[in-house]
Amino acid sequence: MYSILLRSGTVLASLLLSFSVQAAAPTLVVYSYDSFTSDWGPGPQVKKAFEANCECTLELVGLSDGVAMLNRLRLEGANSRADILLGIDTNLTAEARASGLFDTHGISLESSALPNPWQDDLFLPYDFGYFAFIYNKEKLHNPPTSLRQLVEDADGPTLLIQDPRTSTPGLGLVLWMKKVFGEQTDQAWAKLAPRIVTVSKGWSEAYGLFLKGEADMVLSYTTSPAYHLIAEQDARFAAARFAEGHYQQIEVAGLVRSSRQKPLARKFLEFMISDEFQKIIPTTNWMYPAIAGNEVLPAEFSQLIDPSPALLLDEALVASERKSWVDEWLEVMSR
Amino acid sequence: MNIPRAIPASLVLALLALLVLAPMAGLLQLSALPGFEAADLRIWENAYLRRVVGFSLWQALLSTLLSVLPAILVARAFALQPGLPLRRMLLGLFALPLVVPAVVAVMAVVSVYGSDGWLPLGRKLYGLNGILLAHVFFNLPLAVRLLLPQWHAIPQSHWLLAEQLGMNHWQRFRFVEWPQLREALPGVLLLVFMLCLTSFAVVLTLGGGPRSTTLEVAIYQSLRFDFDPAKAVVLALLQLALCMLVAIFTLKLQRMPEVEIAAATPWAGKSKAAQWFNLALILAATLYVGMPLLSLLIDALRGPLLRVMFDTGLWLAFGNTLLIGISAAVLAASAGWFLLAYSAELAQRGHSAAARLVDLAASSVYVVPPLVIATGMFVLLSPRVDVFDWVYPVVISINALMGLPFVIRCLGPAMRQNHARYHRLCLSLDLRGWNRFRHLDWPLLRRPLGLAIALVAALAMGDLGVIALFGSTRSATLALLIYQQLGAYLVAQATVTALLLLALCLGVFVLLEHLIGGSADAAA
Repeated sequence: MYSILLRSGTVLASLLLSFSVQAAAPTLVVYSYDSFTSDWGPGPQVKKAFEANCECTLELVGLSDGVAMLNRLRLEGANSRADILLGIDTNLTAEARASGLFDTHGISLESSALPNPWQDDLFLPYDFGYFAFIYNKEKLHNPPTSLRQLVEDADGPTLLIQDPRTSTPGLGLVLWMKKVFGEQTDQAWAKLAPRIVTVSKGWSEAYGLFLKGEADMVLSYTTSPAYHLIAEQDARFAAARFAEGHYQQIEVAGLVRSSRQKPLARKFLEFMISDEFQKIIPTTNWMYPAIAGNEVLPAEFSQLIDPSPALLLDEALVASERKSWVDEWLEVMSR
Repeated sequence: MNIPRAIPASLVLALLALLVLAPMAGLLQLSALPGFEAADLRIWENAYLRRVVGFSLWQALLSTLLSVLPAILVARAFALQPGLPLRRMLLGLFALPLVVPAVVAVMAVVSVYGSDGWLPLGRKLYGLNGILLAHVFFNLPLAVRLLLPQWHAIPQSHWLLAEQLGMNHWQRFRFVEWPQLREALPGVLLLVFMLCLTSFAVVLTLGGGPRSTTLEVAIYQSLRFDFDPAKAVVLALLQLALCMLVAIFTLKLQRMPEVEIAAATPWAGKSKAAQWFNLALILAATLYVGMPLLSLLIDALRGPLLRVMFDTGLWLAFGNTLLIGISAAVLAASAGWFLLAYSAELAQRGHSAAARLVDLAASSVYVVPPLVIATGMFVLLSPRVDVFDWVYPVVISINALMGLPFVIRCLGPAMRQNHARYHRLCLSLDLRGWNRFRHLDWPLLRRPLGLAIALVAALAMGDLGVIALFGSTRSATLALLIYQQLGAYLVAQATVTALLLLALCLGVFVLLEHLIGGSADAAA
């Protein structure tokens, strides 16, 4: 009980404190996922760089993932403290759009690095990546060269994937399969199922199991080998290049409609697509920066596979079909 | 009925109901708003859900039996070897698995049984095997800790009598130990069953795929993926109802204590063969529990120990973790104390059904998923206050709620025995309130109380769920830090952080058990 009392005291104190701080300099509140805001993500560097010029405080709030952020914002409605939501991907933008909680950003994205032109007045991309199966070159000598080969070869490599109900890459694979196999996706899943060692809750568990040698390949990003190259000087890991192309994930930010400091929020969005912010992304979020430019990408990224053509399904289609596709996956995988 | 102790207990029960039901009401209310409408709520017509319910119950039942039945033998072996070297340390080790965050435990289990592990099972690890292996790793040591005190509660005269009658081992177990064991066993079975029923990350990761989906996963899905609060509440209530059914059945087996108690040293017997058998059991259990922990230790010592240790964020998280753990434990122990005092009084007066009901209410709150409670609380709080300032109170109260069944299990049997034996004496001496606590309850109950507080503190320190839901810039805990590191490819750092969390839990556990439980006897 004592700690609760103590805490209430702190609550009061911090309320008073926050009033006095607000009077001095505005606080911009950004909701993001916690691997963005954590000490190892882009968060701390982004905060430092933005605060150097904004005469404001940047408060990064870490939530578990994009879905959690959007749900949180929907629950809070107009009362939300958030000015910016940073970290949902294009599989969620249709829902976010329909929520009516976002305002136009009014910023044009010049020199975009995205494979397709970006047209969206509510959401602005800050990075992107491609899903891929990662393998250890010393252990797997002939990785499949297409998604079709991976599916068809009954003696092919064993896999670790994530659950589409709880994980972004997991959902990404469901969409990738749909894009490549269309009507025959359920049969493709059935062929793949015997070689799936396990389906994990999140990316971390699957990747951790892969590093422990539990399967030949793990579902991750084409950029994952860059981490091992840059941070560990370890060149054993590679992404398997698939001939059909790789499904894309584009991460975006949006301006919250109820924000009371839209000019400052727009300033942050401008900053988000500037070189300064973009340079932080590749080696902290391990994704491709959203704007083009040689300076922003470390040299090691040139050793990564070329994922083209980039595959992406229309956001409205994903929004309307996501549930039935995941149910289809669930049905096949539960047999 | 004018029963003393009814008022504080009723207050606690009302608070429990409020903590569980108000968030659910909040979620249901939300489902009336546009954008949150419930989809089809006729869940019993859904074949997928029927299968999920079936699997949840089946794996929980198997896990419970495989954890608790061997635990009886191991606890007995510990009880009969009071002079075992390192006994206290081994028992401390047995408190650890419970606090290992699920993702770390999965990795540790894989280190031992995975393809490149010490005892490789290969693909056979994934599926029911892996789930059972991990659940036994979590719950066998817990059950040992909870059952062990029962042997110390057997009066010395019983052992002597058994010796004089020349009872063999089986007879001694049947007539001396079993009656005592029966007072705690149903409760322990129930607790382990609940823990396995609501298991999430272990089932999802080691289960091999959605064939192994539990109801807890379905609840998570409905709240997160579908964002259908009404369905989440219906499923949570279904889980609660299932658990209540199991609880009613299990607690019926529970024997209420007789008036005799003692704090005796179990009679070890003189048979060398029996001693070797017990030592072998202890060794096997220690290996089973210790191997995954050892693999974690080895991995962590190979990791960037110093870099992780000198990180200020780590020590902030360390402080937060400690604050949450201790506060939740004290809260849960106080609430549990009032409830048990009332339930003991009821049992004493012959209302054993009512006594069981109090026990049932306090235990079954565990199976209401924290995600449901936390989201519901969020719905209720967010229009009224700034939720970031409420992160700690919410996290602490939910952890206390989740810890309550542990308090009931640790403290319940001892408290009922105590009450049965000394209540009349207290009445005749007019020993009441603080004086009674100070002179009677404290000296006799501090040991189980110490275990209860230590367990809940350790459990709350290993908890990730709630704090990750509320999210904040300034409230990281060690468990959250581990997930963040794993999410940033930093497997080695995460292992070091996990080791630190374990060390903290072990330290707090031993310290609390020592401070509160006293050092009089190194027994349990």
